[in-house]
Amino acid sequence: MKLRRLFSLGGAFLVILLKFAVDVIAKNVEFDWGRLAILRELVLAGAFALLYFLLLPIFGKTEQSPVRKLGFLLILTTVILLLVVGASSISLGGYDAKLLTLIPLDYSTLFVGSFTSLLIGVFALVLFGVLVTLLRYGRRKGTQRNAIVLIGLILACSISAITLRPLDTSVVTTVIFSLAILMAVVNSFRLPWIIDLAKREKIFGLAYTFFLFLLLTGFTVLISQNVTISRSLLFYSVPLKYFVQSSSIFGAIYAGMAFVSTLFHLPTAEAFERKRTEVTSLHNLSRLVTQVFDFNELVDTVTTMTLDVCEAESCWLEIVGPPPEATRLDGGEEQVGYVVQVAAKKNITQVEIDRLVPSHTRSIRDEVLENQKPMVIDDLRSDARFRHLPKSGRGEGSLVVVPLLSHGTPLGLLYATKDIEYGFVKDDVDVISAFADQATVAIENSRLIKKSIERERLLREMMLAQEMQRKLLPQTVPVGPSVDVAASSTPAFEVGGDYYDFVQLDDDRFGVVVGDVSGKGVSAAFYMAEVKGIFLALAQLFDSPREFLTKANEALAGSIDKHSFVSLIYAILNTRTGRLTVARAGHCPMLLLARDGVRYIRPDGLGLGLTEGRLFGDVLQEHAIQLSDGDLCVLYTDGVTEARSDGEEYGYERLVEVAERKKHLSASMIKDEILKDVRAFVGGEEAHHDDLTLVVVKWHNSPRRDIDE
Amino acid sequence: MSDFRIAQREHESVHVLELRGYLDAHTAPKLEEALQGLLNNERYNIIVNCKDLSYISSAGLGVFMAFIEDVRKHKGDIKLTNMTPKVYNVFDLLGFPLLYDILKDEHEAVRRFKEATPR
Repeated sequence: MKLRRLFSLGGAFLVILLKFAVDVIAKNVEFDWGRLAILRELVLAGAFALLYFLLLPIFGKTEQSPVRKLGFLLILTTVILLLVVGASSISLGGYDAKLLTLIPLDYSTLFVGSFTSLLIGVFALVLFGVLVTLLRYGRRKGTQRNAIVLIGLILACSISAITLRPLDTSVVTTVIFSLAILMAVVNSFRLPWIIDLAKREKIFGLAYTFFLFLLLTGFTVLISQNVTISRSLLFYSVPLKYFVQSSSIFGAIYAGMAFVSTLFHLPTAEAFERKRTEVTSLHNLSRLVTQVFDFNELVDTVTTMTLDVCEAESCWLEIVGPPPEATRLDGGEEQVGYVVQVAAKKNITQVEIDRLVPSHTRSIRDEVLENQKPMVIDDLRSDARFRHLPKSGRGEGSLVVVPLLSHGTPLGLLYATKDIEYGFVKDDVDVISAFADQATVAIENSRLIKKSIERERLLREMMLAQEMQRKLLPQTVPVGPSVDVAASSTPAFEVGGDYYDFVQLDDDRFGVVVGDVSGKGVSAAFYMAEVKGIFLALAQLFDSPREFLTKANEALAGSIDKHSFVSLIYAILNTRTGRLTVARAGHCPMLLLARDGVRYIRPDGLGLGLTEGRLFGDVLQEHAIQLSDGDLCVLYTDGVTEARSDGEEYGYERLVEVAERKKHLSASMIKDEILKDVRAFVGGEEAHHDDLTLVVVKWHNSPRRDIDE
Repeated sequence: MSDFRIAQREHESVHVLELRGYLDAHTAPKLEEALQGLLNNERYNIIVNCKDLSYISSAGLGVFMAFIEDVRKHKGDIKLTNMTPKVYNVFDLLGFPLLYDILKDEHEAVRRFKEATPR
């Protein structure tokens, strides 16, 4: 690549040198070139074309700012102009005009003329290249066509002059030249890059285009009016002269138009720049909102951007805590203000914030939160709400407060201050509001994520409690030749408060307990675990249900929460004699279907954990029953009797009815039938809202002979 | 489902809470708040009228248990009146009548309060 360039450069140089040699020879030898002159021009044009494509990568880069290109052109034009003027000022013999051709009078004229012409030619080449590149900025279909027409006309103008002698003129060339100038004007209206410039760039551009316009105009005048330079060019190459001329005129027009256009765009430069910053910031922010879940980073970005875009002195963001607690029934308390916390602050200290918007008294913060609208204080010093501020101090100019609202609920506030009064215009408030909106989304997001994580955690906890609870319930029921036991417990939600258990006291006796822990959820599961612990520890030690329950109350009362309690019913059955003793601590009565009648066994007794004192033991009664063949005991929780359907409770009678109807079945089937009946009553399993626990004990004097369906 | 309301009024220096609807785990905080409000205002002679209370769960019973100690420490009481048989049965099962004054109506409750503080 580099080598090829070197060859091209060498080739162009060689051609130019050759032409120079020919010129030298032509000076000495009288020779009519005739048609060969065309060949000479073509070769020269080829050399220039080669140079053009060699130089194009240097000045044709579109990624470079147009202003920098103009600056480069300005420097180049200045240098070339100085060189050309310097060279032409050397007093020389000049040219002899003969038959429309020019003949240099001496060698120095030929040397200097060739040098300046070559310099001017290369300069025109670069100028042309840069201008064409400039036309390509923000091009559209029509503008591209215009540019191509212009380039075509300039080239056509040069080509049409290929047969002309130095002092000759042609109508065709003049017409094409005029058209090229016209197209140059048309193209010079194409300046889309100016709008995009930053203010600083515009000022530079203004200076560049102004001087460039002057210099190029001067240059154009120089090459067409100065006899020496103009004749040197004409002698060197007529097409080149036209090319140089049209290019420099185009450059001058373009620079002039750019100058005027930049001048007009200057007042809007600031606003435009601001809008652009706003758009970029908002874009960045919204991307951040969706990508970054780090809350602190987000509020930090929001405040930084507010500061930058509005050119504010200071900025801070406050997060509003949970809504103020409703005033108590007494109403005498002072109303609690909003609880806020500064989440991010820029160029301001907490002390200064507290000074501006004190939290203990009513401030603009409360006003904004109540009105739910942005508020602008144009002059803090004269505003009545800021009378508490000392007369001298930093940051006492203007203030903007924008609420962060999510569906009408205030989440926070965004503040910005300026040192000067009337520092914020409507645009500032709009952009701060836009930032506030983004911050709202971010805060909402982060809260939702936190909430969902919390939910997930709770759910896992619930599952754990559920699992634990399932393990707390016995896996087997007591078996014996004369007793048939069945039990089941279904929690209504994830975790229930129902409990049942069995304990083998000795060879003949086992105990059965059914209970209900007040409340639901994890706390209920904990108490249930505690009850099981107490049951396992104490039941073995006491022969009578009454004693056990008294001790259980003592154990539980000390540890249970004061608004929680446990209801238990405890029965001990002697499987040899069929004697059943039962005591009840606030629990649902036991249903007994005996040969001599159906009744609920309801000895007196307080719930566990209701009272610590002696009262519990004093009240508690124990009931003893002698079971006879086929007798049925049903222990249950209030989920059975309080099962609801349209405000009506399942109740005790329905339980009696279904138990009597199914009395002949096995314990397990009776249990299933009762559950089926309860669920049918409430209208499906899903409709039931309480735990369902059932223990059925059926007694046989002799080996079982009940009917299995 | 969670339709529960409390009306408050003064009745001869006794504060009356009238309960209406379902008192369960979801609505219990309302009653808690109301009782806490009375305690904050140092009103310890409280009657809870259960005339329109259609259901009470264990969580509802727990609310009374949470406050009774505090109220009695200040020589006051929470007396419950006008219970429907169904609601009474729930209280009765747990043995509440042994621990609380559960009375027929407000007059009786007011009379009890007067007996307790002879002035």
